[in-house]
Amino acid sequence: MPRLDKNHPTHEWIAQLRERFPCEKEIDRVLTRKLQRRAGPPYSPLALTTLIEGTQALIRSELKGDFEIIDANWLSGGASKLQMVFKLKWNQPGVGPTITPMVLRMEPSESVVETSRLCEFQIIKALEGHIPVPPTYWADEEGKYLPYPAMIYGFAEGVTKPTASSSNVTGVGTMIPPELRPVLGGQFIKHLGIVHSFDWRNAGLSSFDEPALGKQAVEWQLNHWERVWEEDANEDVPVMRLAMAWMRNNMPPVDHISVIHGDFRTGNFLYTEHNNEISAWLDWELTHLGDRHEDLAWTTKTVFGHKAEDGETFLVGGLAPLDEFIAEYEKASGLTVNRKTLQYYDIFNSFKSITICLATGSRAARNGKTHQDVLVAWLAGISYGLLDELRTQLEEVL
Amino acid sequence: MDIRPALQIQTVIKTLTDVVLPAVDPSNKLAIEQARLAIGTLNIVLQRQALMYRYDRDELARALALADNLQEQAKDLPAAAHALHALANSAEVGADVLDRAKTDPAELEATNVDLRDKLGALITALYTGQDTTKLKHITHSITAHAKEQILRERIWLLGQGWEPDPKSLPPLETLI
Repeated sequence: MPRLDKNHPTHEWIAQLRERFPCEKEIDRVLTRKLQRRAGPPYSPLALTTLIEGTQALIRSELKGDFEIIDANWLSGGASKLQMVFKLKWNQPGVGPTITPMVLRMEPSESVVETSRLCEFQIIKALEGHIPVPPTYWADEEGKYLPYPAMIYGFAEGVTKPTASSSNVTGVGTMIPPELRPVLGGQFIKHLGIVHSFDWRNAGLSSFDEPALGKQAVEWQLNHWERVWEEDANEDVPVMRLAMAWMRNNMPPVDHISVIHGDFRTGNFLYTEHNNEISAWLDWELTHLGDRHEDLAWTTKTVFGHKAEDGETFLVGGLAPLDEFIAEYEKASGLTVNRKTLQYYDIFNSFKSITICLATGSRAARNGKTHQDVLVAWLAGISYGLLDELRTQLEEVL
Repeated sequence: MDIRPALQIQTVIKTLTDVVLPAVDPSNKLAIEQARLAIGTLNIVLQRQALMYRYDRDELARALALADNLQEQAKDLPAAAHALHALANSAEVGADVLDRAKTDPAELEATNVDLRDKLGALITALYTGQDTTKLKHITHSITAHAKEQILRERIWLLGQGWEPDPKSLPPLETLI
């Protein structure tokens, strides 16, 4: 029997996947769109002028009056989306004539992680005034004005790591110096607590599906990421199949539905070095409603932290020892942490990150679908360390 | 191993072509020429690397045929006796190597992928709806295989800098 050609998805295969892995409607929409477009052309380089023209068209559709885009340029950072920084000279409602630095964030043809610009736009807007996030302006949900779906938000000042430090791609391996740990760590934990206890029900999150208390939230997440594995994996990996089976058999119920950032870690916040204050939390594209332990297990992952100077104490995000982190989080959020559930989501997060990096990353790069295939293929290399971590995690529970 | 040289070279060509070359100072003719040559060279490597093994095997087969032919024709020439003897020894080794070099690397890779698919399907079938604690012996086989296989994959990509303690890992050459 010939091997399934995932690069040319049939309608039947797509329908089977959708039926087999029911998940949130917006996730289903973007994953289905990804497969429907997969056999199309690879990403071809876009001129900056194309993005400027598309941005002008989007703004013109939303804004009355004259405006001008100035100082447009490419912006690096992250592995999944194209970004352009620019300044908008405009008559801002409620403010008057002003110049506002902004960022255009647009999908490539196929991304290392396929997500919804509408969800991202809505959650950032909902959290404005609660924690530091960039101000949101406009979204092009379907790529009506730009080549691909996009959104525009404010440019936030700051750095993801101390200017003098180094890290691998996407901020992994950032070393936080001792004097910064208490001040950044305190803000980090406080913000995470605010996100998880945020009252999302009347916050304009129309594109998000609300899971019921119990096991629906975790089931949706398993369906989401198992579906992505099926859609994108080139080589199968036996220990990933073992993980899927264990996770299905051990789903923990959730007692409080929280906003889950999905990538809450060092490397995804900006802070201003003159006062060491977090100025913006970025990368909300994986946000959904679910179990806080998912974020906590992600944040506390070994790969996103490092050891203290004693060579033994692991610092969550390079910021605080695990026990201290958890205790402070419980105070900040008013929510409890269940270590067994944390362990479950630690396994889930390993599975999810391997799916993103190895399955989706290598397929998107192989098909030439992104604006930075070399980075995406490089990032796929992290998967083997994560797979070994998944193996040891499974050995502990099986 | 999914992150293979063909994929890596392909992505390097794309980034050099789409991002780096257009950003090179147009007045720096040396840099532009060498960037283009680098892209051209990598394109040749990408195109040919999958055929390298087959090419070497083909070359060996035809060299052996020539060796056979020349040995036959030169067997009565006393001046060639020493060289004939040396050639005969090498041809014997060559014939043995050619005899053992039968499987194409692409076939080997495809077979690995197929076997991974079938192993995955079996694991899913074994564990679905089962109490995983009752399958400990099977679980051990899967994790033991994973430990050895993933170790090799981690070492293969050691140069990317993901390993917290790279010196603790053995050289790849001692494992494969």
